[in-house]
Amino acid sequence: MTKQQANWSPYDNNGGSCVAIAGADYCVIAADTRMSTGYNILTRDYSKICKLADKCVMASSGFQADVKALQKHLAARHLIYQHQHNKQMSCPAMAQLLSNTLYYKRFFPYYSFNVLGGLDNEGKGCVFTYDAVGSFEKVGYSSQGSGSTLIMPFLDNQLKSPSPLLLPAQDAVTPLAEAEAVDLVKTVFASASERDIYTGDKLEIIVINADGIRRDYMDLRKD
Amino acid sequence: MQIFEYNGSALVAMVGKNCFAIASDRRLGVQLQTIATDFQRISKIHDRLFFGLSGLATDAQTLYQRLVFRHKLYQLREERDMKPETFANLVSALLYEKRFGPYFCQPVIAGLGDEDKPFICTMDSIGAKELAKDFVVAGTASESLYGACESMFKEDMEPEELFETVSQALLSSVDRDCLSGWGGHVYVVTPTEVKERILKGRMD
Repeated sequence: MTKQQANWSPYDNNGGSCVAIAGADYCVIAADTRMSTGYNILTRDYSKICKLADKCVMASSGFQADVKALQKHLAARHLIYQHQHNKQMSCPAMAQLLSNTLYYKRFFPYYSFNVLGGLDNEGKGCVFTYDAVGSFEKVGYSSQGSGSTLIMPFLDNQLKSPSPLLLPAQDAVTPLAEAEAVDLVKTVFASASERDIYTGDKLEIIVINADGIRRDYMDLRKD
Repeated sequence: MQIFEYNGSALVAMVGKNCFAIASDRRLGVQLQTIATDFQRISKIHDRLFFGLSGLATDAQTLYQRLVFRHKLYQLREERDMKPETFANLVSALLYEKRFGPYFCQPVIAGLGDEDKPFICTMDSIGAKELAKDFVVAGTASESLYGACESMFKEDMEPEELFETVSQALLSSVDRDCLSGWGGHVYVVTPTEVKERILKGRMD
């Protein structure tokens, strides 16, 4: 007699893709707005992006209930930080907090695949990419979610990140202009929507630069 | 252990203006270990018909031998070369014969049909044909290849531009897949000539 297994899972995958690209003085964060379960669409209009601090934005794909809980947790911790330090959290600081928060639930994880984007204290773009349990790395660009395997090779090709093993250490941020980076993101999502069933409907693009945070939308395929 | 991921492979075929390109990676592995870095995944049936087989290498070799045999018989009887559409039907039939004990391969077929019209298609392991007008992909790197090809493809590319596009798409995609890589093998076929080129990429 075989052991009885649970046929109920606490997790679900709501699909979707996220991308972030760091520039010399800007950061672009984008995600589609489709939320699905199985082969059904729950809504075409759900934002996967959350502003955590003045110059720090997180995009997450995966199980949106866990994403929502994670966003709430980080927002609360940020508020406490502001009360204690009388300033906003910097992007690298939030990056470390997110990593620790995720690892705290190492044995019942947040099913959340995150990219964090923003400006560091010098105003330079920075992007951090995570796995579900908090392993993170500062990179020049990243994508997560159902379309990430389709998107990453093309970003590699266009943004040609230098190897992290080279000496002297080279900057990972792209020399592209802000408008070019936004165009690249739009191209990449248009391609991903063609071949990934979980990506589509609308694209939400956030651009962070010295002037502040700007939000743009673009229509994607609805099929 | 996934049987389709045992050896590792990446295959792509793309249509251009009166020409086509078919490309593959060069790695042959046994799970994590690399055994060969010059493995031929693409074979020629005749000057205007090429096909590649991704998936389990032993099945790829057996299928190749059976298909070459069948084509040689066809040539003897019909006194001409097989058209790409006919060849695709042949491959599909051979695969479906083994419906309940299949060959663990995904073929990619590319050829020039009547009036030099390029023809490409891929199939699953039991012979379900997928005709495409732009590009087809197969192998462990297929998801990456879908993304790269979808972004880079343009209609009616000339042979030189087609070669560049296929090469960039292949190399970027295999760089994101541990089981494929070690360079690339690209064939660009026009009505007048066949150009075979080896690509040097990340050798890991």
